[in-house]
Amino acid sequence: MRRLFIGVTLFFLIAASSAAQTITVNNNLVFGDMFPGVPNTISKYTAGAAAEFHVSGTNGAEISIQFTLPTKLTKIGVSIQLIFFDTDCAIDHRPNPDQSSPLFDNLDPWSTLLYRLGVQGLTIYLGGTAVPRIVQPPGAYTADITLTVAYTGA
Amino acid sequence: MNKKGVERKFAAVVVAAIICFSLSVNRVQAQDVATGAATATVLAALSVIAAQNLIFGNIYQGVASTVANNINASSGIFNILGQGSAGISISFVLPQFIALADGSDRMTIGFSSTDATVDSNNTTPATVVAGDGWINTNPNNLPAATVIGAAGQTNVYLGGRVYPSVDQAAGAYSGDIILTVAYNGT
Repeated sequence: MRRLFIGVTLFFLIAASSAAQTITVNNNLVFGDMFPGVPNTISKYTAGAAAEFHVSGTNGAEISIQFTLPTKLTKIGVSIQLIFFDTDCAIDHRPNPDQSSPLFDNLDPWSTLLYRLGVQGLTIYLGGTAVPRIVQPPGAYTADITLTVAYTGA
Repeated sequence: MNKKGVERKFAAVVVAAIICFSLSVNRVQAQDVATGAATATVLAALSVIAAQNLIFGNIYQGVASTVANNINASSGIFNILGQGSAGISISFVLPQFIALADGSDRMTIGFSSTDATVDSNNTTPATVVAGDGWINTNPNNLPAATVIGAAGQTNVYLGGRVYPSVDQAAGAYSGDIILTVAYNGT
């Protein structure tokens, strides 16, 4: 009975100490000024231009990472083709992540990714390519990039 | 403590733990979703206008005629409009002859390696100076460093020479001069 009491108590203490995971958008994917007819690629290694997300939570816990990626940038009535290749994502869960040389490189942002959080969480980098037409109307274009993360329990 | 006392205490702890667990489950999110953005700004579209044809006017059989690239009234003039200071690639497709509308006779036309001028300051063929761009450059190999002028326009001026034969048929001759421009991303 005493052992059962201790075991139940420990279980609830552990469950109560689990940290929630949260995502912070550190940087949007910024193509900047583009010329009509001239495709523009943003490398995942380019700080300040590549998209950067930071996930915090329980050290060592595995999370699933899933992007919902747009296929075009839009402004009212017009759009620009947007391409994400299967190597456009990178992840680093070291305490000091290195965007220029991430720990896990050339990942497919179209797939569900499974990685463990580090002491400082985990950082995700994303590049992409925009392909404006020769007659692309000038102006500002945007699109949403949605990132969903969840503990897998592993 | 007797057995009943221990059981009551255990039951109380279990109830408290369940309440605690319920609270903790509420605190831990099952997942999190964040929305970032992809953004781009498309700059001004590029266009080119043939503002003035290369005009040789009246010519005589057997007498070659030249139009320089610095004659306001007769040099070929092309206006390129786009994003100020943007780098562009430009190239001519030049004819080897001009012809009567019905195609019954042709006249040779030639362009030398100094027949073009690129003017990024939008002056005129007669007033352009070296600081405005490239004077007397090769129309078959226009400068790779050409940019749209800061004001959003660059002009190209073109001269040439026609060689009518001694038995050239009388009439109006014409030929297409094509200037292609494209942003090069610089």
